[in-house]
Amino acid sequence: MTDLLASLEASAFSTWLRESPSIWAYPTILTLHTLGLGVLVGANWMVDLRVLGVARAIPLGVLSRAFPIMWAGFWVNATTGVLLFVADPTKGTTTIFMWKLAIIAVGVAFVLLLKRKLYGRGVEMDSASFGVKTMAALSLVIWIAAIATGRWMAYATAV
Amino acid sequence: MSKAIVVWLKSTAVSHAMSMSPVLWPICEMLHFVGLALLIGAAGLIDLRLMGFLKSVPVAATMQLRKWAALGLLINVVTGTLFFIGAPQQYINNRAWYAKLAFLLVAMINVVVFETRQGRRMQTLTAGENTPVSFKIAGVVSIGSWFFVLYFGRMLPFIGNAF
Repeated sequence: MTDLLASLEASAFSTWLRESPSIWAYPTILTLHTLGLGVLVGANWMVDLRVLGVARAIPLGVLSRAFPIMWAGFWVNATTGVLLFVADPTKGTTTIFMWKLAIIAVGVAFVLLLKRKLYGRGVEMDSASFGVKTMAALSLVIWIAAIATGRWMAYATAV
Repeated sequence: MSKAIVVWLKSTAVSHAMSMSPVLWPICEMLHFVGLALLIGAAGLIDLRLMGFLKSVPVAATMQLRKWAALGLLINVVTGTLFFIGAPQQYINNRAWYAKLAFLLVAMINVVVFETRQGRRMQTLTAGENTPVSFKIAGVVSIGSWFFVLYFGRMLPFIGNAF
């Protein structure tokens, strides 16, 4: 595994991503990763907050359109995330990175679950049940944890 | 002048705490990113409606999200100020930092102009109604300037010299 990561790190593409002075290499990828985070988590939080009773004048139905926006943010970050991993594979061996991936997996599961609960077949609600509200509250916290672990990676050292 | 400010700021207790504590800076960064996401989510939704998307939402309804956008901004102004006090030398000669502040100013002026000139008209736009051109301009300016605030924030270490 470490051999594989070492050869990845030594590859021309990884070296370019990491060391190129071009603004289009590492800086742009990192910026897109931040933008994707804002779009994914921001859209997600708006749904969570509305489910929890914020801005009730916004029809719950229209917020189904926030989900494609979340997925756009997600795929931007999955792509740029892979590139950041290629640029610095040893970061991918840190415990905090494992935590980040696990937390994101749970967050994505909540996105799918919430979508089904809110907009599944035959569902038409204007105020959410206690169960769905609990889900929205958890989703809010999960994405705070995802951001926190992601930021913490900048300070973590490989084990 | 700017050197004197840097020296004075660095002598403060807040600056010492920010630069000496192993956790304070990272925690502020986490909060800064949480604030960023909250701001993009809330302001983004308002801006999309102003631009004429999501027409089934009454414009006045999106305005209930203003306080959440303001909360995101508040978190980021507070943490951002702490970064500045903690390491002023990183920002005071940083072109990216001035660009970021300039776009922040554009975003703020846009909000104030829009609220004072169109605030009442906005409350009357119901669900399904298209927005006038002035609303669309305000939405585009807002989303565009927040994008550049984020862009130049992220570029602080690359265009400028911040870490």
